[in-house]
Amino acid sequence: MKKIITIGLILGLTGCSLLTSKVQANTNITGNVQSRCEVVTDITGYFGNPNAYSLTTAPASNGQVPQIRVTSTLANAYKALISYPTSFSSSPSLSNSVTWSGAVAIASASSSDMSGYQAASTLTNNGAMRTYYLTKAGTMYVTVTSTATHGGNKAFPGGQYVAVAQASCIAQ
Amino acid sequence: MTTPVLGVTVQTGLDVSGVIYSYKPIKEKADDFTVTVQNENAAGDGYIFQDTEDFSGKSAINIRKVLALPYTPIEQFGKGSIATTGTGSIEDASVIYMYRFDACRNPQNDPSCPDYIPPLPPKIKVYDALDDESVKLASKETDKDLIDDDEDSKQSNEEEKEKDRLETMLGIAANAFTIANGATQSSLINTMNFLSMDNYYLARIPTQIYKEPLVLKDQGMSDNRKVLRSLSNDRLHQTMIEEQYK
Repeated sequence: MKKIITIGLILGLTGCSLLTSKVQANTNITGNVQSRCEVVTDITGYFGNPNAYSLTTAPASNGQVPQIRVTSTLANAYKALISYPTSFSSSPSLSNSVTWSGAVAIASASSSDMSGYQAASTLTNNGAMRTYYLTKAGTMYVTVTSTATHGGNKAFPGGQYVAVAQASCIAQ
Repeated sequence: MTTPVLGVTVQTGLDVSGVIYSYKPIKEKADDFTVTVQNENAAGDGYIFQDTEDFSGKSAINIRKVLALPYTPIEQFGKGSIATTGTGSIEDASVIYMYRFDACRNPQNDPSCPDYIPPLPPKIKVYDALDDESVKLASKETDKDLIDDDEDSKQSNEEEKEKDRLETMLGIAANAFTIANGATQSSLINTMNFLSMDNYYLARIPTQIYKEPLVLKDQGMSDNRKVLRSLSNDRLHQTMIEEQYK
C-alpha cells in the first residue's frame, strides 16, 4: 500500500510538471551578405586659392580634383549617389554667405557598356547631387569639381577650409 | 614576353598576374568601333589574353580596366598590341602588367631555396711555360752554323768592348790632365787681370767753399719825370670829381 502511494505521488508530481512548464529552444540563423558595391577615394582633392575670395579644385589654380572609384559586381542592383560640397565642414568664421558650384562627371570606366551612365544619370539637390544607375557590373571613376566664392567678393579669412564631396552606393 | 620584346633577359620565375590598361577612344557615337588589348602566345598559337571593348553605337568613354589573369610565366607572353576595328582611334594608351616573382623556381637564384646546389669552385688552368708551344719553338736549336757564327760574333764583341774600355781609361787620364792644365791657366789669367777696387773706395774728395764773386755797385737812378705829370693829371681829376659834391 505504501508502495502504491509513493508511485501515485511520483506520477502526480510528473503530471503536474508537464502541465505547468513550457519547453522552448532558440536557434540562431546566421548569414553574411558580402557587399557588392564599393566606394573608394582614388585621388584626394584640395582647394587652390586663385584669388582672395575663391577656393577651387581646378588644377589651373593649383587645386586638385578628387576622384572616386565606384565598383559594383552586380548589375542592376545599386545606384551611386555622388555630390559636390555645398558648405564647408570646417572653416574660420565667415561673415558673408558662400556660393558653391561644381560638377560630377565620369572620368573613365572599365567597360564601354557604361558609356551611357552619364547621360542616364539624374540631378537632385539643386544640381549638387548626381545619381548613377549601375546597370552593369564594373568600375567607374568619378571626378568631383568644386568652387566656393565668398559673398561680395570679400576675401576669405585666413585659416583651413574643409569641404566634403559625398559618395555613396545604395541598393536600387 | 620574350627577351627581344622586353629588351632585358627574361627571368625564370616571373609570372604575370594581371594587366591594367587605359585608353581614350576617339569616335562618333554612330560609328562602329572596337578596341582589343591582347598579347600573343610566345609559342605561336593564338593569344595569351584578349580583351575587347565594343563602342559601336555607343558614346566614347575613357576606358580604365584591371584584368586579372591566372599566374602565367612571362616566357609565354609574346608581342603585345592594341588592335582596333571600325571607324575611330585611341589616345593616351597605357598597359601595365602586374607580376610576381618566384625566386626559387630556379633554385640557383637564392642559396636559401630548397634545391639549391652550391656551385663547384672554378677550375683554374695553371700556365706551364715548358708546355707552351711558342716557348718550345723559340728554345729549339735550329741551325748549328748560325750558333757558331753567334759565338764568333760574341768573341769579337768582347774584344771590341775591352778595346773600348782601354780607350776610355786612357781618355779619362788625358782628360784629367787637360782639366788640371786648364785650371792652372785660368788661375794665372785671373792673377794677371787682378783689379783692385780699394783705391776707388779709399779716395777722399776735399771740401771747398765757393764764394759769390759778383758784386753790383749802386750807380744811382733818377726819378721818372713823367710820373709827376701823371700825378698832376690825377689830382686834377680828383678835383673835378669832388667839385660835383660841393
